[in-house]
Amino acid sequence: MIVRPHSRWRDAALWGRLFFGSLLLMLVVALPWQRSLAVASQGAPNTSAVNSTWGTKYLSPVALKLSPDGRRLYVVCEGDDSVLAVDTKTRQVLARLRVGHRPKGIAISPDGKSLYVSDEESDAVTEIDAETLKARRTLAVGWGPVGLATDHSGTTLFVANTLGNNVSLIDLQSGREIKRLEAGHYPEYVALSRDGSRIYVANLLARIAPNDQPPVSELTVIDPDRQMVAARIDVPGVLQMRHIAELPASAGGYLLIPFMRPKNLNPLVQIHQGWYLTHGLAVIRPLISRESGSQSYQVAEVLLDDIDRYYADGFGAAATPDGRWALVTASGADMVSVLDTAKLRHLLLRTPITQREALANRLDSASQFATQRLRTGRNPTDAVVSPDGRLAYIANRMDDTISVLDMTRMEMASTISLGGPKDISTVRRGERLFFNASYSNQGQMGCATCHPHEGLSDGLVWSLETPQLGRDVVENRTLFGIDGTSPFKWNGKNPNLETQDGPRTAMYIFRSQGFNSGEVNDLVTYILSLRLPRNPHLARDGHLTDTQARGQAIFFRDRTNAGALIPPQDRCYYCHAPLTHYTSRVLMDVGTATPYDTIHAFDVPQLEGVVMKPPYLHNGEALEMEDIWTKFNPDDKHGITSDMNKVQLNDLIEYLKTL
Amino acid sequence: MFLERTGKSSSCWAVLRMAAFLILATASLAAQGSSLYTKWINYTPANGFPKGEVYCVTVDGDRVWAGTRDGLVLLENGSVKKVFTTKDGLAGHAVMSVAVDKQTGDVWIATFGGLSRYSGGQFKNYTNLTSGLANDLVYGVAVQGKYVWVATTAGVNRLDTYTGTWSIFNESNAPFEEPWTYDISVTADRIYFAVWGSGVLSYDPEHNSWKPYSDPDGEMELVLYRNQGLIHNVVSSVSYNPGTKTFWASTYFGLSSYDGRNWHNYLTKDSGIVSNFVNAVRSRGNEVWACTQKGLSELNTSTNTWTTYQPDAKTGRGKILVTHPDGRTERIGSSTTLAHNYILNIAFQGDDLWVATAQGLSHGILQPHKEQ
Repeated sequence: MIVRPHSRWRDAALWGRLFFGSLLLMLVVALPWQRSLAVASQGAPNTSAVNSTWGTKYLSPVALKLSPDGRRLYVVCEGDDSVLAVDTKTRQVLARLRVGHRPKGIAISPDGKSLYVSDEESDAVTEIDAETLKARRTLAVGWGPVGLATDHSGTTLFVANTLGNNVSLIDLQSGREIKRLEAGHYPEYVALSRDGSRIYVANLLARIAPNDQPPVSELTVIDPDRQMVAARIDVPGVLQMRHIAELPASAGGYLLIPFMRPKNLNPLVQIHQGWYLTHGLAVIRPLISRESGSQSYQVAEVLLDDIDRYYADGFGAAATPDGRWALVTASGADMVSVLDTAKLRHLLLRTPITQREALANRLDSASQFATQRLRTGRNPTDAVVSPDGRLAYIANRMDDTISVLDMTRMEMASTISLGGPKDISTVRRGERLFFNASYSNQGQMGCATCHPHEGLSDGLVWSLETPQLGRDVVENRTLFGIDGTSPFKWNGKNPNLETQDGPRTAMYIFRSQGFNSGEVNDLVTYILSLRLPRNPHLARDGHLTDTQARGQAIFFRDRTNAGALIPPQDRCYYCHAPLTHYTSRVLMDVGTATPYDTIHAFDVPQLEGVVMKPPYLHNGEALEMEDIWTKFNPDDKHGITSDMNKVQLNDLIEYLKTL
Repeated sequence: MFLERTGKSSSCWAVLRMAAFLILATASLAAQGSSLYTKWINYTPANGFPKGEVYCVTVDGDRVWAGTRDGLVLLENGSVKKVFTTKDGLAGHAVMSVAVDKQTGDVWIATFGGLSRYSGGQFKNYTNLTSGLANDLVYGVAVQGKYVWVATTAGVNRLDTYTGTWSIFNESNAPFEEPWTYDISVTADRIYFAVWGSGVLSYDPEHNSWKPYSDPDGEMELVLYRNQGLIHNVVSSVSYNPGTKTFWASTYFGLSSYDGRNWHNYLTKDSGIVSNFVNAVRSRGNEVWACTQKGLSELNTSTNTWTTYQPDAKTGRGKILVTHPDGRTERIGSSTTLAHNYILNIAFQGDDLWVATAQGLSHGILQPHKEQ
């Protein structure tokens, strides 16, 4: 066995435990090449060489912002790392700017002179001159920034960091981060209240919670003056909260936030015709006490689905300036719902508080306030309404267009093409299928419904195939970086993704014909193209901290603290083999089965990106990584770990976070 | 209010000396603004406060947090606003320390069931089983920038709130003789720890280096040489005063201070401290407050005058004992007093004091002192 105890490089060191010297030599040669690729892909935003590369990538518009006068529409395109300025009168693209990697969100300063675009994979925000569309500077923020907004004065920028589960506060004068406030789980969207007194942060994922409890999501409320968290509002039973629209006080002052509402605790095979998840809207009403001035919040939930047709994957939300109308895009249904907010308010007010909870499950409500369902382009994401309330713009991610909605006539007026390749590649076809819910019964869901943010695990435990309540529940798994990790599913029954995404998905999930073989091929090609986001726990040069290096030694150890030899099958790297994405790709019984599991051996999960996908173990019982060893390995069947002290366990976890 | 004078004079010289002392005493009181804590408002079960010991108290602007045997109490504008218990999500019943992150507004709570964070009206808990916390018996917590420092019976923890990384410091990687840590005091560039049996430890985060301060005569409960070093290794609390660049360490065998050059020790036999059994010490400006088992003693370092506040068990009134540098004492009475003479902790709210006692929380309000 080859041991390199002094190596402090994560990737280099893991090779050090390989079994054959010749293989080691090969890997040593391969490693620098791998690193050079990684470094090359992490360049700074480039504004100079833009024109030479335009047109080679799909644009995938995901975020919109209008100038205060409504004459310019700014479009963030995550696919080709760009921001576009569109003249809303001529409906032509005026300018393009290359920004950082995978831009996701946009904010505009109160005076309309500056744009701020979050570069998710660069952990940065690009500040842009809104007039010239030239980049001014790059602001360092937290991990995986997406949503952002300035405060009322435009002096502080609030940036939601998805991977950090926090919000960066940036002083826009100095460009420096002042502090980070902890948000909920995977914060994505940020909005400043109309009166400027609150910053709202919608968290995409529910709090990690026991696997027999329904999810609870959080709307984080920040006081921008005090720059502190003012409230954490529970939104029960839902997840995937997206964009936030606030109605003016004259229309009730409600916050409207699209969500997905799962019924993941029910055995799915027992549910007739699907209906194990629905799509709706959180309606949150801020209340201010006249006596104390303190603020509280009333939370109600309504569904946007109809009984016979679903509007999957709510995403964008916007309201007219007078609050008369609200728009919610259904990104999986290629539709936008037009909501009459007066009727919505009426429904809420005449529903007794004791029956409000029932509203969250009623499929006959939306017909009372959803006055129009209009077709958009493919995969509509963000939506904005012009300052005069006459037009709305909707970004269609999967066909690189903007739909223009005439709000006075409530019909689509035109479509703006943003450019991008005209040929549709296999991966792009697969990507379109991934976001498309029309293949499932009644359009209830697409792949993206349970794998939000382009492949993430939704963090839920699902009862997929066993009819008994509470039996064989399994934790959802990520789709990032799964190439080479077959078989799939916790029971390892699917030898490849074609099986997983073809007949099994059609039978158990979609309850429909599903995809045809060509579509399956496209979809699988796309899924296998999904790569893990950069791991912020690992230094960009791969160097390990002291703690991580100690944890690495524990991961690769072959002796206990007392010096006893650890049998090979009880070592971490035996099952979590580094050469195969830290999975041995076989079923293993590590003592984690419960009386409610039919089988005892489960697929060994890959560990790459493990820090980003709690909960852990096949049934999601381990809410934190520590739980795996402190609660669920009493007999040392999940590796010999009982001799470790707390410092060693912390070290091991810090190393695992780097994978 | 009444005033008694002690000290005997048997000669003219003594009378003259007494006169001089009186002048000095008057001057010292004048230096203190001639004010004393003669007005006390107590929070006990009688006015909605939990029963029993109050282990800690922390001031956050207009809010006061008090850690008790049975939960965390939030007071606003002098009233008990809420008593948080494990039913509300608190990690443990007994609350030993509270720290408010001035940057984020988050409240960190040390309990005997783990560490809690209270933010936006919700609790989030960290325990030995579910996080990197070294032990669930948490005695102290402090915030320094993005780091939360936690004192436990199994050493010191540091949580990086940006990355979620937990670090443990104990006898395996730092100069701990014992890992049982009671208290933390943070400064801009140092963190001081009060360690049971290991004296005071300071940590320099920039250089990742530790410095121990221990009793030069080891475990002996005697002081062989005055001001030689830390008075005892069983240290119950530590408080760094940035104004005087001095840290103060309370022990069960006296009080110590170190200004970077010199040590000073304070015992009942040679100072005005009311007891050598000191549960906690807090220092600001020229004030040092020692929370002892027999009352609350204050040292004014400018005048070297000690003032001790105690309840009189017989009368229920307050006893204030002023000890001047020459040993002369004055006794002053007050109609209200501390809830109990066993003092566990103290916090400052402007000129006001909040004092944790064995039987309730006391709010001390500075009052002009009318000399008679």
